[in-house]
Amino acid sequence: MKRCEVVVTGVGMITPWGTTAETSAEGWSARRAVGRRALEDLRDTSFAGAQVATLPEFDAAQRLGERRMLKFMSDAAVIGCVAAREASTQAGLKGRFRPERVGLYAGAGLAAASVKDSYPIIRESIDAEGRFSCRLLGSRGLASTNPLLSFKILANMPACLVSILESVKGPNYIFTPWEGQTASALEEAWNAVADGEVDCALAGAADYPTHPSTYVFLRQSGLLCEGEFPAAAAAYLALERRETAARDNRPILAEIGEMSVVECNDGPHDPLSALMGRSFAAAPAVLLALASRTEVASVFVSGVDGQAFHAEVRRPRCNA
Amino acid sequence: MQRVAITGFGVVSPIGVGREAFWASLAEGRSGIGRIGRFDCSTFEVQLAGEVKETIELPEEIAGVASADPKVGFAWSACVEAMAQAGLRELNSRTLLHLGTSLEVFDLSQVVREGRPDFQAIADPRPSDGPRRFQIPLDTAVRLIAARLGRPGRALTNCSACAAGAQAIGHGFRGIRHGRWDVAVCGGFDSMINPLGVGGFQLLGALTTSNDRGQRACRPFDASRNGTVLGEGAAVFVLEPLEKVLAEGKEILAEVCGYGSTLDAHSLSAPDPEGDGAARAMQAALDDAGVAPDAVAHINAHGTGTPLNDKVEAAAIRRVFDGLWDRIPVSATKSMTGHLIAAAGAVEVGACLLALVRNMMPPNPSLERVGQGCELNHVTGRADCFEGEYVLSNSFGFGGQNATLVLRRHNGSK
Repeated sequence: MKRCEVVVTGVGMITPWGTTAETSAEGWSARRAVGRRALEDLRDTSFAGAQVATLPEFDAAQRLGERRMLKFMSDAAVIGCVAAREASTQAGLKGRFRPERVGLYAGAGLAAASVKDSYPIIRESIDAEGRFSCRLLGSRGLASTNPLLSFKILANMPACLVSILESVKGPNYIFTPWEGQTASALEEAWNAVADGEVDCALAGAADYPTHPSTYVFLRQSGLLCEGEFPAAAAAYLALERRETAARDNRPILAEIGEMSVVECNDGPHDPLSALMGRSFAAAPAVLLALASRTEVASVFVSGVDGQAFHAEVRRPRCNA
Repeated sequence: MQRVAITGFGVVSPIGVGREAFWASLAEGRSGIGRIGRFDCSTFEVQLAGEVKETIELPEEIAGVASADPKVGFAWSACVEAMAQAGLRELNSRTLLHLGTSLEVFDLSQVVREGRPDFQAIADPRPSDGPRRFQIPLDTAVRLIAARLGRPGRALTNCSACAAGAQAIGHGFRGIRHGRWDVAVCGGFDSMINPLGVGGFQLLGALTTSNDRGQRACRPFDASRNGTVLGEGAAVFVLEPLEKVLAEGKEILAEVCGYGSTLDAHSLSAPDPEGDGAARAMQAALDDAGVAPDAVAHINAHGTGTPLNDKVEAAAIRRVFDGLWDRIPVSATKSMTGHLIAAAGAVEVGACLLALVRNMMPPNPSLERVGQGCELNHVTGRADCFEGEYVLSNSFGFGGQNATLVLRRHNGSK
């Protein structure tokens, strides 16, 4: 089978450095340390002083041109959709390709609904002896719950929201929850474009590991070391063949010459962690997006799942 | 491109643990749906589910996790059965391990301390609290399987809701066909039969509250259908290149020959009313298999028993199989198993194997009167004889992800 050259024509990012690809790339290039905040909910626990990276504020409704869908969105879904919109818009995805010929390949992080969202259910479900009761959950707890909570904790929802907002109707995969899984999603996208299975792929990930319960889980599982801090981030890339970019006279941001996912027994390695924090499932997509916007030529990240992602990114030989 | 053989199948389901028990129940039209026994559901509107009742023997470290998250044990058991049938002793660097599942288990009772929700309960558990497993990540089963059965070249966890199991099989099929892997161990596992799982689906209005219907509460395509019933379990398959399997003289259960994957891009909770995404998935799978619609002799429908989904799927089947649909028998096995969510697609591929290996199409025993718009050539009552060559299995996910697989009877020759 003839494999075609794959190029990047759109990049979208939300990182602690900035809420666009441009501002994120600027922060990365300048090696700027990001802002951090303490997790107040853990103040009275053994994790007192725990810090997470802060995301700059942005108006998601304005960025998406959509307010109604926000009520279905988890925090991860919001940043994923905004990043995907930026990539899709830059690539001019809508109108250039038949939606059925555009694929969606995504990584999703740990389910990271705020435990506080579930406090009303818990309060209503505690019996006279101070214990959680299934009977009370059925009779009172569920009634106190926002039915939309389910949409916020199902792992496929952030990517499905991207498909709805960007009218992507083609082949798709969503892998979870660590770096290696996103790496596989990116590789699937690259292969699908190179092999002609799709004309364009929207590929990326969103992870929001900064909720207190997620922080506690990561620390207790040894997946986040003392001194490390988690960061919410999202990145999406629009990949297509060189010939379609040339046909439509679209600026090429980068060429992806090689991509692979391999076993790695050397422990996690995330070049972003010291400056931006650990964004786990988002990290491979953020690194690939940064490489597509800056002079970085080689991307390497290995995850807590023992799988490493490697990509060679080249400056465009000529513009389209 | 290589042809792809199924050489191993393992299953855990509400109608039987192990493929022989599962196939026997399907053939008899036996339902595994009943009143929930795993937790006190007496105050829930929804009180029915398809639970796995049998005790499954598990290694100690898997049993420990499975006590908090039963689906992890189901995945292990199905995986071991499938690998044993395929004569596969271990996973290695040329093996893909890819399982689909849906939702992390959160045990809200663990956030309670001294009568109120308190972060300290999970951050600083007391020795008297016992083992704490507030959150169990979705890759836990894959990680534990790899730890005990050998590290695969790639270990993937797919979270594409009700399409996840079928997607994992489709991905494994493509990986073998293109020579990326020598062996694919793939399928799905799930259980949402816990207070939050049942409660969450109850809030969404997706489940039937007709608890008095008992075993026949899940009624795909029936006029009286009013919601699905949750099920639980796992199904895992071993896929290998057909040529290699023939050379080794191993048994071939069937071939996977086509896969289609699409998105509705319409709504998070409802299918595209025109069934466009579903129809495109079926057409893409047929095209991928190089098979004309008139070659398909049996369809295992997604058939959830919800009013809208069944109507849309029936319309999509009629559209793809225009002029043929009244001659193609359609099964809907969720009538017996309940909806296994991320495991559904994989378990239903296992049901398709009943047709291809044992020449019997499973029925939809709860179908009494076909609902308006659900007109298809339904298999009702008991299993029917099957002699055809190609079978199609549909899986359509919450969120708008659709996956269709085409299987082929293996006739023993190249």
